[in-house]
Amino acid sequence: MKTYPHRAILLFACLAFAGLAAAENDITNRPPTLADWQALAKLPDLSGVWTPVISDQIAQERTNPPPWTPTVAKQIQRMYDEEKAGRPFPIIDHCFPTGMPSYMLITHNAFELLATPGRMTLLGEGDGNRLRRIYTDGRSHPADPDPSFHGHSIGHWEGKTLVVDTIALLPQVFLAVNEAVGVPNNGDMHIVERIHLLNPDTLADDLEITANKLLSTTWKTTRKYYRQRARKYDIVEGVCAQGSFIEALDKDGNSTFKPIKFLNNVPVGSDSK
Amino acid sequence: MNQLRIHRSVLPKALAMAALAAAAASWPVYAHHSFATYDRSQTLTLKGTVKSFQWTNPHCVVWIMVQPEGGGEQQEWSIETTSPGVLTRGGWTRNSIKPGDPVTVEYYPLRDGSHGGGLRSVTLTATGQKLSASFGDSEKPGLK
Repeated sequence: MKTYPHRAILLFACLAFAGLAAAENDITNRPPTLADWQALAKLPDLSGVWTPVISDQIAQERTNPPPWTPTVAKQIQRMYDEEKAGRPFPIIDHCFPTGMPSYMLITHNAFELLATPGRMTLLGEGDGNRLRRIYTDGRSHPADPDPSFHGHSIGHWEGKTLVVDTIALLPQVFLAVNEAVGVPNNGDMHIVERIHLLNPDTLADDLEITANKLLSTTWKTTRKYYRQRARKYDIVEGVCAQGSFIEALDKDGNSTFKPIKFLNNVPVGSDSK
Repeated sequence: MNQLRIHRSVLPKALAMAALAAAAASWPVYAHHSFATYDRSQTLTLKGTVKSFQWTNPHCVVWIMVQPEGGGEQQEWSIETTSPGVLTRGGWTRNSIKPGDPVTVEYYPLRDGSHGGGLRSVTLTATGQKLSASFGDSEKPGLK
């Protein structure tokens, strides 16, 4: 009688995987307790509105570029040449979320951090869908997470530093150094962040980005953000697609949005039909 | 009769396809972009009347009607700037500029000379108030 050990192993692996996925789905998120809130209050307060230090972004771009592979470095140089010539590569034109890690690296807009038991949430301004969920409830990454723009993030505290591990990013998500220079990660990107306060109102995010399809080694870089408590700094709603339309009235006198005419990436007419 | 039946069945489909094609042709896909499109080595000045102030993410736009020096029809210009959030923190509101306001605008021009630019500042002719779109000096924590 012929045996098929490799088939048995495959079947076992499939069953084990299905079991794991089912087990993940069976877990119920327990409601937070008073002790959970009290524990949170003893951690460094990272909550509030944070504005990126753009001058430092620019300095970092110049002094600490990613260790691009030689092939990717040629693409990057071409993008810098195009940017210099006034033909910026359209990394963010489509209004998709900027995605990770560009969210932390290149954004010019603020984000708001919410600290709640078991989770940190980053709400970005500029695009309504710039949203990061970092689970700090001790869970692992799912066995087979759906790839997404911001990936799957889990975090834990090491002293006063929040350590965040992110996987499952869509391969189309850019690793960008500015709004016109960057390349899709093409899969298997892994990001580790160490988020901590440099002083009461300055946040540092030390990033370690491993992207084997693009980088010859892990890229270590830091981005800084300043906390703003003044109420005028409260985050405002931002819907990227809205910028492609202008307010108008339709033939029945109802308020509506009318598409704007664009040419070479810039708005050129508010009367497009 | 047969011919009529054909017309009835084909015409709506053709119209629907034409409408779809028109919608696709006018669909704007370039709302968010790098400002490298504008030539920041030059600052030019433009005088005109505000047609509308588009207060939207990711970028706001001041639409301005400009009378050409040699006469002729007024021309529509689009002067683009940063987001409502950034402008708000710089002291702007969505009512800082209103339709009908005569203004002088400093802007970075498009490289091909078309009627658009990146905003540096707007001065309201009526009051002399100058609204800047540069916020480099506001890069610090705990701003008031």
